[in-house]
Amino acid sequence: MRQVVRYTAMLLRAYVRDRSAVFFSLLLPLMFMLIFGALNLGAFGHVTMGIVDEARNADSRRFVDQLAGIGELTVREGALDDEKARLSRSERDMVVAIPADFRLAPPQPGASVPTLLVYANDGRAQQVAVGGAILQQLIAETSFAVTRTSPVVQLTQEQVSAVRLRYVDFLVPGILGMNVMQLAIFSVAFALVADKQRGVLRRIMATPFRPIRFLTSQVLLRLVLSVIQILILLGVALLVFKVQVVGSVLDLLVLTTLGSIAFLTVGFTLAGWAETVNQVPPVANLITLPQFFLSGVFFPTDVVPPLLKPISEHAPLTYLNDAVREVSTQGATLWDVRGDVLGLAVWSIVGFLLAVRFFKFQTS
Amino acid sequence: MTTPIISVTDLRKRYGEIEAVRGISFTVAEGEVFGLLGPNGAGKTTTVEILEGLRNADSGTASVAGIDVARDPTGVKRRIGVQLQASAFPEHYTTKEVVELFGIFYDRTVDALALLRQVDLADRASQRQEKLSGGQRQRLSIAVALVNEPRVIFLDEPTTGLDPQARRNLWALVQSIRDRGITVLLTTHYLDEAEVLCDRVAIIDEGRIVALAPPRTLIADLLGRGFTKPVLQQQANLEDVFLDLTGHELRED
Repeated sequence: MRQVVRYTAMLLRAYVRDRSAVFFSLLLPLMFMLIFGALNLGAFGHVTMGIVDEARNADSRRFVDQLAGIGELTVREGALDDEKARLSRSERDMVVAIPADFRLAPPQPGASVPTLLVYANDGRAQQVAVGGAILQQLIAETSFAVTRTSPVVQLTQEQVSAVRLRYVDFLVPGILGMNVMQLAIFSVAFALVADKQRGVLRRIMATPFRPIRFLTSQVLLRLVLSVIQILILLGVALLVFKVQVVGSVLDLLVLTTLGSIAFLTVGFTLAGWAETVNQVPPVANLITLPQFFLSGVFFPTDVVPPLLKPISEHAPLTYLNDAVREVSTQGATLWDVRGDVLGLAVWSIVGFLLAVRFFKFQTS
Repeated sequence: MTTPIISVTDLRKRYGEIEAVRGISFTVAEGEVFGLLGPNGAGKTTTVEILEGLRNADSGTASVAGIDVARDPTGVKRRIGVQLQASAFPEHYTTKEVVELFGIFYDRTVDALALLRQVDLADRASQRQEKLSGGQRQRLSIAVALVNEPRVIFLDEPTTGLDPQARRNLWALVQSIRDRGITVLLTTHYLDEAEVLCDRVAIIDEGRIVALAPPRTLIADLLGRGFTKPVLQQQANLEDVFLDLTGHELRED
């Protein structure tokens, strides 16, 4: 045990001195999070609405200002042709044309009321529905105010979950899961294959140091690194993006550690199979890249085509991301996500058997 | 005669079609410097790696410091020091840290500086191991081989790729190790090296020992068989000229 602790400490010392390792395990994930967080990719329920105000009177101004004051909307104004062009480039989810005769006054009997014309982006049906509902509600409120009546039915809306899910709240758990996977697979595979290729492992095996202790230290190092990495990423997410972590941070660490173990077995299998460092990236990417898109890192798994659903559902990163996301955004406990934990455990066992089968200390 | 510290009997090892070691037997007495000589691919490294517990022999027996290598490779590893061919130390450590790291592998606390002083590397203690010159690296690997106070040390082609100054320096180091009573088994394909350092040599070719005796005896035998060199015997050779002109001091950085 003392030997394992001393060796792990030495490994950690070498790791922090290795600039490229620090870059890949810490700076790159931070960049990923900052870029995707800032891009606000996905932007659930957020609607970009173009307004073409042909009335340009006090009433139309008031109406537009009210729309602009609604949090879910980003309002842009422009000429009709321009806005329609932007709509076709998906820069707008919908465009609302306010007619020249727009005014907010009680309707005169027999006269028609002004009509808002909405151009909708077919590709963004969800956003169009949200924007349409907001418009309907604003029209209703305005009508009641103008006609000085009260609505006959009142609607109170209650949030389904206690916390409103912003994209970044969704994104951060995915980024955590992705980095657990990257660190476990790439850092083990690269470091051990390089050491194997250079004859470092042979030199160590010429000492009485027991292989099991060597491997235990290598695993321990990665688990320690993974915890440090997760804490730093979470810290930045909390400070920069004000991400709300509803569940327990300790549970998150337990889950990411389980995830690390599952992916470490993959890393060791790869390190055992590969004879040179050049063989590592193609296979490692083949394993990790599809999971970026199938396992709900950047967007929910609902968008995965049916054909790929079975892979998506059982991929190790999906189990990890689901569990981390449930804990982080919904406040789930470890018991609540036991299905995902079981999934990770099964992958760990499969990976462990593969690693035992493939891992060798020297090139033949 | 005392019991030999290394004893090898009818060792054989085959890699697929190639029979690398075909029945090698020899013994090494404690305190001796024993050389395994031979061209590349003769089976020297395979033999040494079997003795170091890194490879299993197909048949035959080998024991080091009284321990059967096949039965207790870890026990052998605990008692020997090794310097491997085509191996490297882990990166991102200083010279001193490499020695300490191997102290961990032998599960003992080591005075790294004292070991570095023995191989004349104390001034490089805080330098990164990757930055050492070839000769310095070989000396570091000898310091590491001494970490566990071994009774035998194995040096596999310790001077290959070194310049004449660094070679002479390493020879002096090997002699100082022998003077401390440590048995040395070295492989080389430099015959002058064997002649200077070794008490006895075994010449290996194609997996077999073709001669085994002290270097002087082998030379005397050859001359006794009427061998004469076609050139006039010189009192100096080109290496002597080179060293006379460039000096014996180490050239490092």
